Amino acid sequence: MIPASFPDRARIDARDKVLGVARFSADVPVTGVLYAMMVPARIAKGTLTGLDTAAALRVPGVVRVLTEADFPAPPPVIENGPPPPPPTLEREIAYRGQPVALVVAETLEAAIEGAAAVVCTYAAAPFAALIDSEGGVREMGEEIVFGDAEATLASAAVVVEGEFLSPTQHHNPIELLATTAVWEAGRLTLHEATQGAGGTRGMTARALGIDPGVVDVKSPYVGGGFGQKGGLGQRQTALIAHASMLLGRPVKLVTPRGQIFHLATYRPLSRHRIRLGATAEGRMVAMQYDAEQEQSRHGIFPSAEYHETTSRMYGIANYLGTSADVRIDRQPPGWMRAPHPQASGFAMESMVDELAYRLGQDPVALRLANTGDVDFRTGQPFSSNHLNACLEEGARRFGWSSRTAEPGSMTADDGSLVGWGVACGSYPSMMVPAVATLRIGADGSTRYAASGHEMGQGIRTAIASVLLESLEIDPERLEILIGDTTAAPQHITAGSWGSAGAVPVAMRAAARMREAVAELLDGREIAGNLHRRLATVRRPFLEIEVSEVGPGQGQDVLQALQYGAPAVAGPAYPTFTTMSYIAHFVEVRVEPTTRRVRVPRVVSIVDCGRVISPRTAESQVRGGVVWAIGAALREATEVDPRYGGYLNNDLADYVVAVNADIGAIDVGFIDQPDPLANSAGLKGLGEVAMVGASPAIANAIFHATGRRLHELPIRIEHLL
Amino acid sequence: MHPFDYIRPATPQDAVAAFANAEAGARYIAGGTTLYDLMKLDIERPPLLIDVTAIAGLGEVDIGDERLRVGALVPMSTIAADPDIGRDYPVLAESLAKAASQQLRNMATVGGNLLQRTRCMYFRNGADGAFPCNKRQPGSGCAAIDGLDRGQAVLGTSASCTAVSPGDWPVALTALDASVEIVGPAGARRMLVADLYRLPGDTPHLEFSLTPGELITGIEIPRPAAGSGSTYHKIRDRESYAFALASAAVVVQRDGDLVSRARIALGGVATRPWRATEAEDLLVGQPLTIETALAAGRAAFSTATPGHHNGFKLELGARTVADALLIAAERSRT
Amino acid sequence: MTDDHSVDDRVPPRNGLDLSRRDTLKGGAVVAAAALTGAAPGPAAAATDVAPLPSAPRHGLRLQTTVNGTAVSVDIDTRTSLLDLLRERLALTGAKKGCDHGQCGACTVHVDGRRVASCLTLAAKLEGREVLTIEGLSEPGTLHPMQQAFIDHDALQCGYCTPGQIMAAVACVAEGNATSPERIREYMSGNICRCGAYVGIVAAIEDAAATMGRG
Repeated sequence: MIPASFPDRARIDARDKVLGVARFSADVPVTGVLYAMMVPARIAKGTLTGLDTAAALRVPGVVRVLTEADFPAPPPVIENGPPPPPPTLEREIAYRGQPVALVVAETLEAAIEGAAAVVCTYAAAPFAALIDSEGGVREMGEEIVFGDAEATLASAAVVVEGEFLSPTQHHNPIELLATTAVWEAGRLTLHEATQGAGGTRGMTARALGIDPGVVDVKSPYVGGGFGQKGGLGQRQTALIAHASMLLGRPVKLVTPRGQIFHLATYRPLSRHRIRLGATAEGRMVAMQYDAEQEQSRHGIFPSAEYHETTSRMYGIANYLGTSADVRIDRQPPGWMRAPHPQASGFAMESMVDELAYRLGQDPVALRLANTGDVDFRTGQPFSSNHLNACLEEGARRFGWSSRTAEPGSMTADDGSLVGWGVACGSYPSMMVPAVATLRIGADGSTRYAASGHEMGQGIRTAIASVLLESLEIDPERLEILIGDTTAAPQHITAGSWGSAGAVPVAMRAAARMREAVAELLDGREIAGNLHRRLATVRRPFLEIEVSEVGPGQGQDVLQALQYGAPAVAGPAYPTFTTMSYIAHFVEVRVEPTTRRVRVPRVVSIVDCGRVISPRTAESQVRGGVVWAIGAALREATEVDPRYGGYLNNDLADYVVAVNADIGAIDVGFIDQPDPLANSAGLKGLGEVAMVGASPAIANAIFHATGRRLHELPIRIEHLL
Repeated sequence: MHPFDYIRPATPQDAVAAFANAEAGARYIAGGTTLYDLMKLDIERPPLLIDVTAIAGLGEVDIGDERLRVGALVPMSTIAADPDIGRDYPVLAESLAKAASQQLRNMATVGGNLLQRTRCMYFRNGADGAFPCNKRQPGSGCAAIDGLDRGQAVLGTSASCTAVSPGDWPVALTALDASVEIVGPAGARRMLVADLYRLPGDTPHLEFSLTPGELITGIEIPRPAAGSGSTYHKIRDRESYAFALASAAVVVQRDGDLVSRARIALGGVATRPWRATEAEDLLVGQPLTIETALAAGRAAFSTATPGHHNGFKLELGARTVADALLIAAERSRT
Repeated sequence: MTDDHSVDDRVPPRNGLDLSRRDTLKGGAVVAAAALTGAAPGPAAAATDVAPLPSAPRHGLRLQTTVNGTAVSVDIDTRTSLLDLLRERLALTGAKKGCDHGQCGACTVHVDGRRVASCLTLAAKLEGREVLTIEGLSEPGTLHPMQQAFIDHDALQCGYCTPGQIMAAVACVAEGNATSPERIREYMSGNICRCGAYVGIVAAIEDAAATMGRG
């Protein structure tokens, strides 16, 4: 049964976080720890021909320098199997910044000095660093086709078209990548900053050729992930694990941010050519959309997913989508918050805005007239779609009706140009399997263990919300164990499926516990909470285990979960499709002389089904909007094609939003449960929060200035 | 990081003597926000740090009728928040308030800030030898000139270097004709702030006109004429905590509706704090309107040489100057 | 004591802890971790020793400073930052490393009452100074009004930048820079929150400033 609305509740781990006692991976105290530092390659491609460690070994405190020769050969590739683990150390250099050696020392200072003292020689090879560089290899991806887009476009009354560009961007969570490995009594414990403790276990074991059964991974708090600490494992993890096993001592690496730019994944630069056709009345009837992105030589970040939302947001019956990877010599790109829809949504929602102006229609009205109940891509219905309600509520709160349509027609008292823009976003709502154990003690304790990683989205709070709503237990002694392979199998937490993977199973656990208590008490009426009742009947504790799978998933996915492999269902489930929706309304002020752009206020209204944790959900939406402001106006990672690598590889030159950049962000929820997606009626939130807010800013800038900008970030030089 | 010794002398004389006795490459350190940062990047590798922050008498602020004197060890945040300086020298207070963050302003000193080194990304990132840089390694070449040069200078550049002088405070001091007090092995001397900075020319590794062992002990700023208006206007890629894309420090004196004297210095666009005398001259005897202000701004960039991606700085810089002039004029009275 | 890292018996006892009792240690300096972290000192309070330097650096010094009200005497490598001293030697992991170059604010602590970036502060410069970290901000078992306000306004998400935000926020109020939302935004811009909790942070500081009597 889908629950009624949930009460506002403070973030359950906020107290530990404000006291500074929440233990992130690099905070775990380990006795006798050694410090590691990687040596990055300074060429973009080629071969490591020499590695002189003598000077490094002379640095007082340096214990050992690990090189390629210290590591086992990579595991054989399994045909149609899971992706291989990240390589360890290799002589072949595939990208600038690839680690070529690992220095381990008694102190951090010695490790840093030692790493700088390693002398490398290389045979450099020609390389391609950018999407247009010579040597890039273009590969077409899956086509998404339904209806007849070409014919419909040919006969459409109105066709708008344009090409858009989204730049390379890096996640930059404030927590650095960090690994502490402890090899003791035949077990390897990894304290790792990861969104996928289970995957990290599997990847590390495969990379080193050891039994995953002896590896434990703990990641109870993640200091921001946004996809960077997700799926495919970090290259550094196996290096540190191996160092600990070789040296018989704990080893810790906190990776400098400049190195992370070169090692971790990133949002690849992408280009988007769209032709959008409509009837004279403004019914969108056909879309042709060609997407391409930069890609590493062996990367798997899928290009076809640029069509995941553009093909479904509006009821467009005729669609022709192509996608391409351009393979170049960089480290693999990956999933970064609102991965594909951030870029594709910028392109599409800019085009929809242009269509509204071409038709002389209000951009809100045009959108309201084009949403639909059917997923034309599959022919099946959406399980829920409240995008129109989002648009209507957003327009009301924002005061949209007082907008004058003409670009440049609104000004502020100080002479600034005022722009009001709107755009929508959607994102697949997916689900993953989960296993949970719940144990309630007569001593007042409650222990809940399940899959999930807390990285700020509030998953621990959402779980607590369910348990405390359903069970009479002591909130002060509720322990929620997540991100820990010793507590429960851990699925990667990403793609906005965190709540779907955590909340339905928690509800099932609570229900099962209530049944178990009823069985135990067998009709006896006992006063007090569950702990009291257990104590009264002299039962030390009750423990139950439950599991949950997504619509259409079999119990076999629980097996995949045990191995830490991804097992994701949706958004196209067997009989329906489930998407989350959002409408963003943005005001920009463009300063008249120097053309500085500010965003004083945003209204964002979300359809994410039932809201489980209102307070953290609201924060998550605000965070998504902050990300979109950064992506629209500031963030781009810069590659000099002569050298490869990333030039602006720090937080001074990779410009993210600071406090002074952010004004009011008003968040609202439709809070209507989805009837089919899962037992909680919830849909994903973290990604959709960001989708559409960047084009809303671009559309507002058009409204303020009359300039339709096709490239992000929109910087001061584009408006002078 | 290269290992180093660390000492904390109690007098300027002891500091200078320690420098003279040290092996080559010793450095004075105060707040350390530039030096320690660059040491972490392996760009700076001093064998000895001489911490000057225990030296007594360098932390005084003295607002006189004719001039303001600031000891070299006064934290940036102190000047930024000083109400008297904010009233009498707004360009100074604003230049510091818009620099860095409060944490860094509490650490960094007004003397050390004068010696801040460039933020050129090819300079900062190349300790492993990946990029040539004439500043870091004389004669190796300049990767920025034909590279990603959006942030590079358009004024005072050479074929060897286009690195921007990054400070805000030195720009304000340059507009106010301030001078620095220096002690060194050869005794004490004084120099205009404007003369502290060298153009890159063929020797971009030589950034400052100090001789080895010289230590800045104080800054003296002549009080602008009564009725002057001043401001520091800074345009960045975000609203705070960023280096300037373009900035302007201006001091305007009016006689009736006409400008009698204007002083203009530019930041974020030049290889040193840049005094825009062409623009200053153009304004004398003119009323300050958006047209004359923009004309002055454009004159300030008349000799600018854009690179590949930084041409916008000419127009942005001109408009920044124009806005600054109008703000300062608004604050001035006749 | 024969080696360079001997226990320093000169550390004055603080908070009722007799630090000279720790003389069984083979090396390193001694402080009471319980006192550093603000835990209630008592007869049973565990006085944990600071990890000694495992190998002698070429350039080291003995630092005497005060952290969260407790005297600390510790041998350090001259290169050590205040942040690394706190985190790796004194087990005070509240201050976080986010950039190590003064660009994010996650490492913010107070030195002599003023907020600084501990990652860009040479530990050697702390001689004779007083350091306050998040662990020493509130009395054991209680919350500082700023900490409570951060909870009330959900002014955090992942929590990683939060100790730095709170130390900066407390200073922001004390400096008199929390007088308007605009001023708070400007004076809190040295602390990046990548999760994007800025709206809550500003609201929390306005709230706490009123409680602290400085709004």
